[in-house]
Amino acid sequence: MDTEMKILVVDDFSTMRRIIKNLLRDLGFNNTDEADDGLTALPMLKTGKYDLLVTDWNMPGMQGIDLLKAVRADADESLKNIPVLMVTAEQKKEQIIEAAQAGVNGYIVKPFTALILKEKLEKIFARIG
Amino acid sequence: MLEDNELITDDNIARVKDLLACMEKGHEEDAIEIIDELTSIRETELYQDMGKLTRELHDAISNFGMDDSINIMAEQSIPDARERLNYVISKTDEAANATLEAVEESIPICRNLNEQASELHVSWNKFIHRELSEDEFRNLSKDISQFFKKTDDLGTVKEHLTAVLLAQEYQDLTGQIIKKVINLVGEVEDKLIGLIQITGAPQADKAEGSSSDSSELDGPVVPGLEHKDTVSGQDEVDDLLSSLGF
Repeated sequence: MDTEMKILVVDDFSTMRRIIKNLLRDLGFNNTDEADDGLTALPMLKTGKYDLLVTDWNMPGMQGIDLLKAVRADADESLKNIPVLMVTAEQKKEQIIEAAQAGVNGYIVKPFTALILKEKLEKIFARIG
Repeated sequence: MLEDNELITDDNIARVKDLLACMEKGHEEDAIEIIDELTSIRETELYQDMGKLTRELHDAISNFGMDDSINIMAEQSIPDARERLNYVISKTDEAANATLEAVEESIPICRNLNEQASELHVSWNKFIHRELSEDEFRNLSKDISQFFKKTDDLGTVKEHLTAVLLAQEYQDLTGQIIKKVINLVGEVEDKLIGLIQITGAPQADKAEGSSSDSSELDGPVVPGLEHKDTVSGQDEVDDLLSSLGF
């Protein structure tokens, strides 16, 4: 994995953003930015040239699933194809299926461990190559 | 509602017979008079029943209102509980941030010491195998002195660990507060059941009654509560996704 890649972490809870950022840093990823919901994340994604999006589902403003759909529908090919990892407390089967159909690349349920995050990231980038 | 035995009385049978006779004879005005009479009998009964019901409902409501606890709940306990729960949020937030801060400050110190120790280890092995030049040895001893100075930072790490320890005090406070709120919710539940019984509203089927708006997100799965169509943990998420071809 390219540890120089630029990652956007989207979660409405600042503590969760901090935890994810610290875990990512531990894996060698230092180039991370934060947003607190889809509405703030989307403009950042459009201009920021990110390589990975890590997002929560349940957020005020714009939810993670809508952010995912907006990204996949974007005209810009590189944004449209950005890997998206969902990190959420939502455990309903129909929601997981919805995320999969919307084109999510990985789905992690909270609470999660550093090892799970690492595995999912490796899996995403192994598939993308 | 009129009971059968209140409707089918000799008097009423006689009235209906009269009505039939009037109609057969074509005495319209007499027939209308009898119909009016029958209607008014029925209305009187209905009004009496409605009056009785109204009185019962009124009594029940005033008895319910006389119980002051429901007013106290609405005016004090519930707003109070809201405040308490907000306090829980701020306490847990504070604790999480204090912990994160301590950890974020400790990690670079540990990483630094870890890296330096590894470097020293390499040089030290070379020294043992007599592979170090005199200059290199001088550098090594300088590095070792510097490393010992750096280990003072471990004191800072220890302080941070104590801060993490202390930050956990929130558990005690929030636990007590949440217990109180749980008790209140129990009381409110009892009162609501009482209210439902008074109004005679049919009690919803338990399974259906709990179904909420499907557009609402469920949030974390809580152990001990029934969750329909949910996965339990990452393994099941992975299984589900791989069954979908992911």
